[in-house]
Amino acid sequence: MIIPVSIAVLVTGGVYLLLQRSMVRIIFGLALLSHAANLTLMLAGVSAWRGEPLPDRVDTAAAADPLPHAFVLTAIVIAFAVTVLMLALAVIGHNDDTKRMPPTGEERAT
Amino acid sequence: MSMVWTLAVCALAVLASFPLTRTLGRHAGWPLAAIYLVAAAVFWPVASRVMAGETVAWSTPWVPDLGLELSLRADGIGVVFTAIALLIGAVVLSYSTAYLSPGRNLTFYLYLVGFTFAMVGLVLADDLILLFLCWELTSLASFLLIARSGYSGEAASMRTLLITFIGGLTLLAAVGIMVAATGTTGLQEALAHPVWAQRPGLTTGVAVLVLLSAFTKSAQFPFHVWLPDAMAAATPVSAYLHAAAVVKAGIFLLMRFSPLFHDVPVWNATLVTVGLLTCALGGFFALQKTDLKKLMAYSTVSQLGLIVAAIGVGTEYALAAAVLHTIAHALFKSGLFMMVGVIDHSTGTRDVRRLPELRRAMPLAFWTTVLGAASMAGIPPMLGFVSKEKIFTALLEAPGPAWTGWAALVGGALASVLTFAYSAKIVFHGFVDGRGQDRWPEDAPLHATPPALGIFAALPILAGLPLALVVGVLDTPVDRAVSAALPHVEPETHLALWHGVNAELVATLLIIAVGLVVIARRRTVMPALEKETFRLDGAGVIATLVAPVARAGMQLALLVRADNPTRHVSPVLVALALVLGGGSAGLLLTGSLAEQHPDLDRWTDVVALVVIVLGVAGTTISQSRLAATVSLSAVGVGITVQIFSLGGPDVGLTQLLVEALTILMIMLVLQKLPLRFGRSPRLGQKAAMGLALATGLAFGLGAFALTGRRERSEIADYYLTEGPEITHGYNVVNTILVEFRALDTLGELTVLGMAGAAMVAILSTVRDRYLDPPRETDRSWVPDPDIALRPRGSAADRAIHQAWGNAVPMQLLVRLTAPLLVIISVILFWRGHNAPGGGFIAALLGSAVVALVYLSSARDQAVGPARLPMVLIGGGVALAILTGLWGTVAKGSFLAPISGYVGDLYLTSALLFDLGVYAAVLGLVMEAFNLLGAAGGRERTRERADESVEGELAGPMDTTRGETPEELAERELADREKALAATRAAGAPDGPDPKGRGRVGRRTTYLTHGVPPRNLGDRSEP
Repeated sequence: MIIPVSIAVLVTGGVYLLLQRSMVRIIFGLALLSHAANLTLMLAGVSAWRGEPLPDRVDTAAAADPLPHAFVLTAIVIAFAVTVLMLALAVIGHNDDTKRMPPTGEERAT
Repeated sequence: MSMVWTLAVCALAVLASFPLTRTLGRHAGWPLAAIYLVAAAVFWPVASRVMAGETVAWSTPWVPDLGLELSLRADGIGVVFTAIALLIGAVVLSYSTAYLSPGRNLTFYLYLVGFTFAMVGLVLADDLILLFLCWELTSLASFLLIARSGYSGEAASMRTLLITFIGGLTLLAAVGIMVAATGTTGLQEALAHPVWAQRPGLTTGVAVLVLLSAFTKSAQFPFHVWLPDAMAAATPVSAYLHAAAVVKAGIFLLMRFSPLFHDVPVWNATLVTVGLLTCALGGFFALQKTDLKKLMAYSTVSQLGLIVAAIGVGTEYALAAAVLHTIAHALFKSGLFMMVGVIDHSTGTRDVRRLPELRRAMPLAFWTTVLGAASMAGIPPMLGFVSKEKIFTALLEAPGPAWTGWAALVGGALASVLTFAYSAKIVFHGFVDGRGQDRWPEDAPLHATPPALGIFAALPILAGLPLALVVGVLDTPVDRAVSAALPHVEPETHLALWHGVNAELVATLLIIAVGLVVIARRRTVMPALEKETFRLDGAGVIATLVAPVARAGMQLALLVRADNPTRHVSPVLVALALVLGGGSAGLLLTGSLAEQHPDLDRWTDVVALVVIVLGVAGTTISQSRLAATVSLSAVGVGITVQIFSLGGPDVGLTQLLVEALTILMIMLVLQKLPLRFGRSPRLGQKAAMGLALATGLAFGLGAFALTGRRERSEIADYYLTEGPEITHGYNVVNTILVEFRALDTLGELTVLGMAGAAMVAILSTVRDRYLDPPRETDRSWVPDPDIALRPRGSAADRAIHQAWGNAVPMQLLVRLTAPLLVIISVILFWRGHNAPGGGFIAALLGSAVVALVYLSSARDQAVGPARLPMVLIGGGVALAILTGLWGTVAKGSFLAPISGYVGDLYLTSALLFDLGVYAAVLGLVMEAFNLLGAAGGRERTRERADESVEGELAGPMDTTRGETPEELAERELADREKALAATRAAGAPDGPDPKGRGRVGRRTTYLTHGVPPRNLGDRSEP
């Protein structure tokens, strides 16, 4: 009941930032959204079982579902790669306004 | 078998065009022509067997699952068209060596040779699919040849593509129907199939489709538009296109399908009427033209009309006439076209109104043109006379009531008057009348014609003369072609110049008589015709048809074609909120959901929630970039807490480390951006908030309604109980990543690598001055604070204005922590299989070392050798894939782990896979720090991006879109040559050979000179 509230808060903030003009804010929005997605994935493993999935130390009966963990781990790293790429885009021309593109010397008369 | 060799030699010519044009420039035409002759020689045994009455076939399985075979078959038609394509091709290539401007001309030779390859493949194909493919290849080749002539060819080439591809579609439909109806893709079997006799309706339909395809290619009315358009191409291209290749492909198609359709009434009627109509219209338009090349183009349209009409008659005699006229036309038309090229070359114009009297200046060209024009006009004793006579006879045989034959003959004869007239126009206006004589001052001499130009232009025309005298030698080829087109007859053609007095001869005499009258009165008749009487031209019609479609497309694209991300994102978000929120609410209200598990929450969740709420609030509200970033990191910490509390040590560690690195990278980026966010939002602020709240609510509802309502999954039990036994590893999450679901991880790894490569690729498409604008134009630049506390050189001054002092504590810290971090990283990597750790986490910790080293440097400099990050990324992905292949080889399954004990140590190939993960992550982080961190110090972003591919450079490259250093150097050298030529032309004295002139190649690049590319063109350098 509590984690869904966290998810709602993250999505609200993420969507709000996603709709802004600044590329950096959009990146922040996507970061919040990916947090929300990761928490949702974790919830798919049912949060009643919260033991670490290390069968040699934790009782298997109490251990959390390891599969969502593996998914989320993958998702975190991919989100990282995407964030880095988008940061590289944001910094072109030292201007991250998505409405006014910075000049690149390649404008074509349209 | 040797047929295949012919094709192989043609394919070889395609490949050879690359090195030949590189070494020989435009003279590559000579060896290529020789290769054509070799192809023809290789074809000779096949041709002689065909002439002896055999058919030669060859096939090999192509796509066995579909029963497709790559089958070739040579019969009379194939031999005649192959010979035309190769021999005329060789002549045109030789001519081109003198015609083209000096230079490489790669595209010209490549496309032309490719064209021949497609054409030979087409005429020898014995498989419907192969036939269609080659047909489309010829369309593409003609498009490319026209398009390569630059801006003037752009619209023309698009029209060509449009029309010939319409024909391609109809042929595809025809081929599809034929394959479906007969159940075979074999051309001969399909043609001979009994189904056609049983279903005349189907036969007629396919006949119409085939003839439409042929009309588009052979430029028959109303598809004739593209052929005059194609005049935008270079003259040798036109000569080849008109005489031997594309348009002849249409004729070939009609002949190829004649066995099936020659007695279908629609086929006969359409071909004869459209053919004669095209013949007349083409002749009329040709008379209107003053540009000799355009005139020639319309004459092709007209001549092809005559051939099409003859094929339409469909009798043995008519097909023989069509074959003969195809040969005659190939000879005189290629020659005449090249003659126009000769005139153009020596006078600089092709417009008859501007030409001087050339008869005396160029007597040889004049007499050759006379012969060619005579052949076209059908005057004895040229080959064109024999073939045209034959076509007249054939037209008399037109099927239907008795009057149709006579009507066809009269129509053909009238059209031929026009032919005679425009042939006369070429000769008289081109050479005799000199309508532009007064524009030619005495002191403007003609350009001398290079021998190759004249000789090869004359060659095909002159070949037509002796051929006409011994026209009997063509009996056999024509016979064989006819028997291929009409399998049930045993043709006995006897070609001769003199057939006695008959209706055709009378017709010819009448044509000549009328033609002579026209010649006598040409000074009044011709200019009168030249006025544009026809407002509506084909290009206009196509434009009118295409414009509304293009407009509709634009309108449609407007819906999705915005740079503005909000336009793309908001519809998706609205839909998501509606579906997810509405659906979840519905499920909750109807009570159709299972009971929620009672024990879902812990008090730690509340802690995380508070941190998250505060962090999100700060991130969204703050207008300061720095504050927003810090708030974002707070959210990350909250999430980490939440994940640890959910029992995911691996995930939590990953999250924490990724968060730290992300924040560092954002900080690096922020130093180049304005201090604060702009105020104005895309959507109205309130609308954005409303949408955000709705989506957030929907997600919360969804998470609440759709999770926590079941027991732990079976797959979880499987992994937890069986996993350790299968993998010998107790960290189940890690074993899932590197063993159970290693393919997922490989995919993820590839995404990482792609992100790194994409960063470099994108940043190296923007020039340095735009990527990192100079301070004057950089609106984000903030000047150093001017704090005059103490004089220069004092400690306070250094602390504010110089970095090195501030970096000292950090450097001390790095000295201590870096080795520790490396050790911890190795331990985490090693123990990953059994305890929290593994490739990702270890690599992220290793990346933290990179980050520390980067940050502790007082000057802005890249970490590690320039190319190391890309090597790490590529090596990591490669290592992971190789491990997977090892699994394939050893265990028959990609990525299957191979494991065993080495002494007491249990080792698995999953460790190697994890090492690949480690390398790729480390590479990405290094690349990102180097690229994002470049903040206007000694190296800027562009230089770093270039260096990560090229190795150390002295400066950023001034290129876009992935030009290699070699290409760049070549371009700059070419620019310099041009500038040099300009100064020479302006009268500057010839200085000593400038440094570096001459052949450009790998050895002359800056990489060996150590000169930065931007300075290569600067000759003031010592």
